[in-house]
Parts: sequence; C-alpha cells; structure tokens
Amino acid sequence: MKKLAVIFGVISMLLFIKPVLGLTTSNTNVTTTEVAALNTNTNTSSDDDNFITEAVDGIKQFYAYTGFANAQSGHIIMIIIGIVFIYLGIKFDYEPLLLIPIGTGVIIGNIPFVMGNQTGIYETGSVLNYLYFGVVKGIYPPLIFLGIGAMTDFSSLIANPKLMLLGAAAQIGVFGTFLGALYLGFNLPEAGAIGIIGGADGPTAIFLSSKLANGINILPDGTTVKNLIGPIAIAAYSYMALVPVIQPPIMKLLTTKKERLIKMKPPRAVSQKEKMIFPVAALLLTTFISPSALPLLGMLFFGNLLKESGRTERLAETARTKLIDIVTILLGVTVGASTQADIFITKDSMLIFGLGAISFVIATMGGLLFAKLMNVFLKGDEKINPLIGASGVSAVPDSARVVHAEGLKADPTNYLLMHAMAPNVAGVIGSAIAAGILLSFLA
Amino acid sequence: MSIPLSISNIDEGYVILLTGLLIVFSGLLTLTVFFKYGLPFILKFYNGLKPGPKNTNKEITCKVPGNEFTGEVAAAISMGIHLYLDEQHDNENAVLTIKQARKMYSPWSSKIYGAYNNRF
Repeated sequence: MKKLAVIFGVISMLLFIKPVLGLTTSNTNVTTTEVAALNTNTNTSSDDDNFITEAVDGIKQFYAYTGFANAQSGHIIMIIIGIVFIYLGIKFDYEPLLLIPIGTGVIIGNIPFVMGNQTGIYETGSVLNYLYFGVVKGIYPPLIFLGIGAMTDFSSLIANPKLMLLGAAAQIGVFGTFLGALYLGFNLPEAGAIGIIGGADGPTAIFLSSKLANGINILPDGTTVKNLIGPIAIAAYSYMALVPVIQPPIMKLLTTKKERLIKMKPPRAVSQKEKMIFPVAALLLTTFISPSALPLLGMLFFGNLLKESGRTERLAETARTKLIDIVTILLGVTVGASTQADIFITKDSMLIFGLGAISFVIATMGGLLFAKLMNVFLKGDEKINPLIGASGVSAVPDSARVVHAEGLKADPTNYLLMHAMAPNVAGVIGSAIAAGILLSFLA
Repeated sequence: MSIPLSISNIDEGYVILLTGLLIVFSGLLTLTVFFKYGLPFILKFYNGLKPGPKNTNKEITCKVPGNEFTGEVAAAISMGIHLYLDEQHDNENAVLTIKQARKMYSPWSSKIYGAYNNRF
C-alpha cells in the first residue's frame, strides 16, 4: 500500500512539473521558475485548464497503451490457459520441462499490446519474431532430435527387432487423423500437418506443420494455407503431457487380464558393435525410403552415433544436455507465445484439439491391436505383452512409463519398461518416416 | 503429381493413407529384417575376417547327466564362479587415465595481485 502511494505520488509529481519545465505549448522560451510562476499568476484560469487537460490526456494516452485498455476476452482466456499449463506442470509433474515454458509463453504471447511497436511475435522485427523464426523454418526440431538421439539407448530395439513393427502400427493414428481432418474440410497440406499430431512427437509435429501449414505456402487453387503451427504444436505437446490420462483406459479396454500378465523374456545383451552399426544402418535404410524426413532422422541417428561411437562423448554430452535444453527453452516459449489470441482462438484450433485427442486414441489402439495380432503368430516365450503396443505412439519416454505402470498394476513383478522402450523409440522413427511421407506427398 | 484433378481431396486422402501406411510399415520392416538377419550375419562375417584362434563364442550348454539340476551341481558351479571372480583382481586393466584438472587463470584469484600490490 505504501509503495502504491509512493508510485502514485511520483507520477503525479511528474505530471505536475511538466508545465513548469516548459513543455506547455505557450511560452516555450521560458526557463526559469520565476517567470513560470509569474506566468501562472497572470493567466491562471487558462493555464490551469491546460495543465489539467494535459495531465488527463497524458494519463489517457498512457492508459491506451496498457494491457487493461487492449484486453479482450480472448487474451484473458489464453492467459488462464497458460496459468493452467504451468499449474499442471508444477502440481502434477506432467512434462514440466515442456508445459512450464509453453505456459509462460502463452502468457507472454497474450499480454494485450498496441500493434506497430515491434512487440508481438507476429510483427516483423520484434525479438520474439526472430526467436520464432526457428519454429517457422523448422530449425529447432532437428536440433531437438539431435539431443534425443544422443539420449536414446536403442539396445532394446536391437535385441528384439520385431518390436519395431509396433512403432509402425501406431502410425495409423497419423493417417487416420489425416483422413478425419480431410472430412472436416481442411485441405490436404493442413490435414497432413494436423495428422502428424497422432505421431505424438512434438518436434516432428512442429517440423511438419512449419513446412505444410505455415500460412505462406500457396495451394494449387490459389489460396494460401492457414498458419496452424501454434494450435498443432500446443495440441501435440498437451496431449503428450496427457498420455498418462489418455492411454490407461484404452489399454484396459483392449487387453484382457490374461494378456496383461504375459511376462516377456528379458532382452539379450547387445554388443557395442551392434549399437554403433545401428545408427548408421538405420540412417541409410530409413532416409533412402523417406528422404523428406532427412533433417529429423539424420539428426536423430547422428546424435545416437555420437553417443555410441565412444569417441565423441563430449559432443554427445553437449547434445543431450546443454543444446537440447537451450532449444527446448526457445521452442517452448515461442510456441507458447505463438498462441496470440486473435490468431489462436478460432474454430480451426478447436477442431485441431478434437482431432488431436482422437489421433492419440487411434494410435494407441493401433499399437495395442497390432501387438495382439503379432501374438497370434508368436509362440511360447516369444509372445509379447500387448500393453507394450501402446508405447508405439512415440511420446518418449512417457508412454513407455505408462505401459510399465499398467503392467505393474496387473502383476507387481512384471517389469515392462525395457520392453516398452523398443516400440517407443521405434515410434519416433516411424513418425519421422510418416512425416517425410506426408511432406513428399503434400508439399 | 500425376493424380488427375477430378479426384477429390478425400480420395487422395485414402491414397495417401494406404501408401503412407505401406511405406511406414515397409520402412520399419526393412529395419526389422536387417537387424534380425542382416546384422548377425555381418557381425559373423566381420568376426570371421579377424585373425585369431577362436572368434566365435560357442554357446555354453549346461548339460547335466540324468537331466536333473541338483543342489550339488549348483554348489559346484557357484564355487567355480566364486574362485574365478576371486582371481579377477589380479588381471586389472593396466591402462590408467587421469583426468587433468585444469586451473583457469583469473585475476580474481591471482596470487600476483595479492602479493605485489601490498608492498610499500
């Protein structure tokens, strides 16, 4: 209260001495206070009027620039959403590394301001706009993938390569959502960008939407595509954070108690040589099939080679700690800030959120059902626990953790984490390939 | 693209759906096949190239006469392992790596400033 009084006092003081300092329209040459006093004495009434109107004008002008004057209901809604994101991140520990930067970004992006002062993220030349450049041009996602590659241990996948197919099965979520978006009236590139939400992979979603639905590309019929990067990224990241909520009911619905009890035999030990060959061989095979996914897959396997080569520990260390942290900070805040209310709150965004939820459901179902299908052909201890199919939706490593937790619920001695990591990382590869395919078809 | 314009978005969507899924599956299937069959073969081949008396590790089978695994057998095996591991410390890795601790120069911790500036 005291501080408020002091601030108010200072502001009123400043306004009061403004005419004294010769800022009034009349008597511009007057400098001394003496003459100013004389001046005020001679024509008091008119100057008083002047002073008051000017003070009021100044306050009015100041007020016109504040957030209070420019706030619209959209801004308030988005700020509340930002606060909810931060709350979810802190309280429930849902991907706090993503939700807290994004939540803060949402607040930053929705502070109401007057256009034309290079403040907003969509105004050319503003600082936020420069940082957002990395999103729009798809620079950040490959860098994130480099870090992910340097973090990921592919050994469970090398030990049991058939689990790779589960990662492919979950990509039905991508193509199912793509079709859904087409039915809802989105055009092809937009639908492709929306579909990739089903890949459950934030960087891939941003990469693809920055190429397909960036508000710059022109369609064959002459219209420009909509800018959907913000809604798609927010949908992808928020549903990734909600994986622990979305997946368990579907897992329970589609698997029987008996299936959930299946114990898989522990994966064999993988030699360092195999681990070194994996990134090189996988890079060659996947990028020859889907060259458009090169930025993502190239960086992913490059990062992994840095980790496994045993000679570049320093580079791997940087890629998986400092580099990915820096990029995550920039990506989170700018993606959050790109949700400026007037651009974000549209019918399309709502549709995208709906489709996103469906895509996660389809992807999870695809993985689970394909795991059950594989079980038909597998015998004895080769049988897989169908729960791990659910981790074929990337969302590394959350969905693998969810599978592990569900497995423990069914049987407290059944540890599925290592097995679930295999389809999980295969899902990353799969969704990157899917992104490449969509890109080559639609760009 | 050679798809005629008369095909609607939805039809093209189905085309992309099917081809896309097919490519994703074939891509990961290729990886699966490679790592299931190709890689072991390559490693075997590579090991075969290397000079040396024996490069292939034969799988150790634990065949117990009469097909019963008694406590005595287990005790014998564990005694063997224990004795083996007991000898391990005699064959230590001779390569030592010492991480060099670098002391960066900084005027804040410089001895020179502290030593000379106080002289009268």
